[in-house]
Amino acid sequence: MQRIVKVWTGLLALLLLAACAAPVAAPGGEQAAGEPASGGVTISFWTRDSNQAQVRSLVDAWNASHENQIEITVIPASEYMTKVGASVGAGAPPDLMAVDLIYVPQFAAANQLTDITDLAKGLSYFDKLSPSHVRLATYDGKIFGLPFNAEGSYLIYNKGLFEQAGLDPENPPKTWGEIADAAAKIRALGEDIYGFYFSGACAGCNAFTFAPLIWANGGDVLSEDGTVATLTDPSVAGALALYSQMWADGVIPPGAQADTGTDFANAFTTGKIGMAGTGAFAINNIKTNFPEIDFGATFLPGQEGGASSFAGGDSIAIPAGSKYPQEAFEFIQWATSEEVQLEYYAKLNNLPVRTDLAENEYFAQDSRLTTAAEAMAIGRTPYSIVYNQLFNDANGPWLKMIQTAVFDGKVEEAVNTAQEEFTKILAGQ
Amino acid sequence: MAAVSTPTKAARRRMGTLSQRRMVAGFLFVLPAVLFTVAMFIFPLLMTGWMSLHNWPLLGQATFLGIQNYVQMVQDRQFWASLWFTTQYTLLVTPPIFILAFLLALLVNSALRGIGIFRTIYFIPVVIGLGTSSLLWVWLLNDRVGIFNGILLDLGWIQQPVIWLVDKNLAMTAIVVSIVWKTVGFSMILLLAGMQAVPDELYQAAEVDGASYWQRLWYILLPLLRSTFALALVLSVIGSYLAFDQFYIMTRGGPQNQTITAVYWIFNNSFTYYKLGYGAALSIGLLAILGLLSVLQLRVLRDDTTY
Repeated sequence: MQRIVKVWTGLLALLLLAACAAPVAAPGGEQAAGEPASGGVTISFWTRDSNQAQVRSLVDAWNASHENQIEITVIPASEYMTKVGASVGAGAPPDLMAVDLIYVPQFAAANQLTDITDLAKGLSYFDKLSPSHVRLATYDGKIFGLPFNAEGSYLIYNKGLFEQAGLDPENPPKTWGEIADAAAKIRALGEDIYGFYFSGACAGCNAFTFAPLIWANGGDVLSEDGTVATLTDPSVAGALALYSQMWADGVIPPGAQADTGTDFANAFTTGKIGMAGTGAFAINNIKTNFPEIDFGATFLPGQEGGASSFAGGDSIAIPAGSKYPQEAFEFIQWATSEEVQLEYYAKLNNLPVRTDLAENEYFAQDSRLTTAAEAMAIGRTPYSIVYNQLFNDANGPWLKMIQTAVFDGKVEEAVNTAQEEFTKILAGQ
Repeated sequence: MAAVSTPTKAARRRMGTLSQRRMVAGFLFVLPAVLFTVAMFIFPLLMTGWMSLHNWPLLGQATFLGIQNYVQMVQDRQFWASLWFTTQYTLLVTPPIFILAFLLALLVNSALRGIGIFRTIYFIPVVIGLGTSSLLWVWLLNDRVGIFNGILLDLGWIQQPVIWLVDKNLAMTAIVVSIVWKTVGFSMILLLAGMQAVPDELYQAAEVDGASYWQRLWYILLPLLRSTFALALVLSVIGSYLAFDQFYIMTRGGPQNQTITAVYWIFNNSFTYYKLGYGAALSIGLLAILGLLSVLQLRVLRDDTTY
């Protein structure tokens, strides 16, 4: 009974989502996997659409050189959890899946993943894998996933505007004060030129680019085990005060307040924004589509220095109920091997998931990629089985805190309310 | 003829099988519709009802709760606030849709050459997906590249670009305008169909009696459109009560969570908090409320006119 209900739940969910999201071709997730292809088996593999180009080239390379074939199903990121939830409930999960690393604790807590502790620790480069990915894939002392795709946040800045404003383009801001200072000088360049940008109505964007300011300052938003909210840490109020001051000084464009994330990647590419938090994806985009913008990359700093980053991306995991866990792990091992990390990650301007490969021959040509890779290596990620509700909810406490503090200027009230709401949500888990 | 009037035993039996066959045929004819309704409505509805009695996480095991979700719903302040907000939105968006739809229907209810083109033009926005059109409006309203700000700036009516979606009243205005644009064509078509069903003789008789255009409109057309109005109103009100896409895409429920509709809250519970059971309970609650509203509307606008 419940099984049928879950299928229906999934269908309903998909219908609802299909109605609200821009229509995307329905993924053909129901093909019978496991048909032997020329002696090998066919492993079904689900991934989200955000990084499908990279995943496709990787899987093509695997299929060309291995007997076991991988059949990829791309699912829109916004529907990913629902789709996987429905398939798991229906007893037909994929054999292998890539999932946003923040969701791994939730999957693991619900007993939906295969324990790969021994296999993972058997890898000679296990301790070189992105520490944040591994930390989030660890539940109850067991490992349920490995890094598959890496993304690190950093501060991107427009070198041309820096120069015009009399700032040294080779010496980007290293403290909060220097960020505010540079932003004010760039703002003075002209009516429509602004010093700083952030997406003021986008919860996830600010977990990615705002939380690192807190970490770089030695603070945190959650306790190490993810069970206690720590928003009353002075670093949180400090970082909020920085944004609040820049907003009050008018160095952030007014439209930032309404940006639900649609302009997250685009604002900087207008060439009229001095600085913004962003991710490694931006480097390729700007180089390809906006070659006229001369930009640099630097770490997101703390109040008096320091550096941090949000280590994001996907983990790769084997769902409980996978038909080919052994074969699936072979692919994981292959994907994290040095050769593949260099030839199919670094060479294509994607960050390697191994910290020992942050410096490599391909990134040597572009120091900005190295900065992003190093940012990922020192990066952190909140660990929570209710991550979505805490940080990604557009109507949740995280975004509300930022909006109240920055746009209404009530930092203290914002922090206290958010602390209360975080605590309530964490207690409910 | 004779065989029918004096049926033999065998013929009666054959007629019996004939009526049986007709029943079977009739059943087969409605079967697709029945199957469709059962599969797409009755079954999901029962499942939703069943789920609403459980603590039903997206991942992991469901546990039976009884009516606890419904108790929680009654105490859920955000749900009632959302319902009240949805009601305000419905009251705000319905009159402009109907006034405009009625005027447009009057305009396109003529036999002019090429009038079909105008009907099509007014109807086109209905065909666009609501998600797509909402995204379109987000960009139309953008402060840097949006056309509305561009026009207002060029006209000199504003000095600074207006940030439409950060202020509740501006955001509501923008959403209402976009929804009127999007849905007015549908109500127009319904009203147009109603207008064309009014027999011409009534107008002609009124004209002979010396009734003016306005009198004909007021005393003949409007009363006879009553049932069409009822249908269009029920559809429009239900549509407004189920509003989600435009708020999800254009305001994300903001600013400061002031534009969270009832369905938005159901969505949040189900797909942000992954509490599918509670989301199901809210859905059933909303269904009951909407059912009541529709009955009320149909009762108020009941129409026993026969031509």
